[in-house]
Amino acid sequence: MPDTANLDKLQPIDFCDVLDRIGGDTLFLEELLKIYFREYTEKKRLLAEAISRQDFIQVSELGHSLKGASANLSLTRLQKVAYSLEAAGKEKQLQLAQEAARTLEKEIQTLKAFLEVNPPSGAV
Amino acid sequence: MKILIAEDDPISSRILQKNLENWGYETVLARSGDGAWQALRDEELRLAILDWMMPGMDGVEVCRKIRRRKKYRYTYIIMLSAKDRKQDIIAGLSSGADDYMTKPVNFLELRARLQTGKRINDLEDKLLLIQTQLKDLASRDGLTSLWNRTEIAKFLSEELERGQREKKPTGVVLVDVDHFKKINDIYGHAMGDQALLQVVSRLKRKVRKSDKIGRYGGDEFIIILPNCGLTEIRRIGDRLRLAVGKKCIKTELETVQVTVSAGCATSELPGTAGADKLFKVADGALLKAKGQGRNCVVVAGQDREPARKQINA
Repeated sequence: MPDTANLDKLQPIDFCDVLDRIGGDTLFLEELLKIYFREYTEKKRLLAEAISRQDFIQVSELGHSLKGASANLSLTRLQKVAYSLEAAGKEKQLQLAQEAARTLEKEIQTLKAFLEVNPPSGAV
Repeated sequence: MKILIAEDDPISSRILQKNLENWGYETVLARSGDGAWQALRDEELRLAILDWMMPGMDGVEVCRKIRRRKKYRYTYIIMLSAKDRKQDIIAGLSSGADDYMTKPVNFLELRARLQTGKRINDLEDKLLLIQTQLKDLASRDGLTSLWNRTEIAKFLSEELERGQREKKPTGVVLVDVDHFKKINDIYGHAMGDQALLQVVSRLKRKVRKSDKIGRYGGDEFIIILPNCGLTEIRRIGDRLRLAVGKKCIKTELETVQVTVSAGCATSELPGTAGADKLFKVADGALLKAKGQGRNCVVVAGQDREPARKQINA
């Protein structure tokens, strides 16, 4: 099970890393973040449904998908939480899945707040 | 060049799309394995980036299905996955992927790897082109570029089958240059060849696009006429005869009078079932034309006198 205890020590987004990957295009990063939040809204709904019916395959798949999307945008903290969600699904740990879902939501809010103060355009 | 991005994660897909379009590719997007499979029906899509994990059919399954296809040209596939263990890479490549990249993608590396894919596809195109050229070369007569004996026999069989299906007759005209040996003996083979080329050019001008003309032997030509019955074939045979003999042929050395004899037959006649039999009947008619003094047309199974012998008839 991945460790999510020390998330606070990490930045919500590693601007250097992600901008390096997408050629330093901050406008494009903004576009991608919009897609990310839109996708998260849909996945959050699906995740709540999957947890309520204890569909661990779906929980694991959603965790896997969020992990990939977060990695693409260098959202290191969210990537770790998504990994723990995927692992909880694989191990059929309902309580851990619920906990991961809550942490995920908390981290999304943290990221949003961080981006309001530190928009991508200011990262270069 | 078109490229398929089969990726269910919209962020990965969008990043790939933007990079690929910046590099000059025309992108086609699919969000599932089934979508990818549908998209790959487009024969122009010969480069594909497939994510392993997709809803429904996964990338590995899509890959296997692509490799089982027979009629399509080669599709170069790069498999993308977060799975980075040795056994995953082996499994991905074993499914038929040409290359394997782990996520997150390094785009400089992807660009270089796509160049490899383009090179492989270009090589296949060159090979296919050479194959077509060689096939064509093997089907043609070296001097006249007409279909050779083997090829024209194949066309005749195919045409007879088609005619039978569509209940339409197939005609065959055998054309032989009169006294061609004399031309060769007197003026030499080089001039004989020039004369033959002019005969061919005149014959070609008088046949339809749907007709097939081949060189059957030294100075003997065969014309296959789809949908041609006994009522038309004499007229066509005579048209061919006149096309050759009406005007003298000018070669580099000499201007010579060249005439041809023609033997005609159609699949309506009894005893013409099959290409060999129809050919034999036409050959019999040609022999008759030769026996009747040359520069004339004989239609098998018809008792009429051959077409008049005057060159300008």
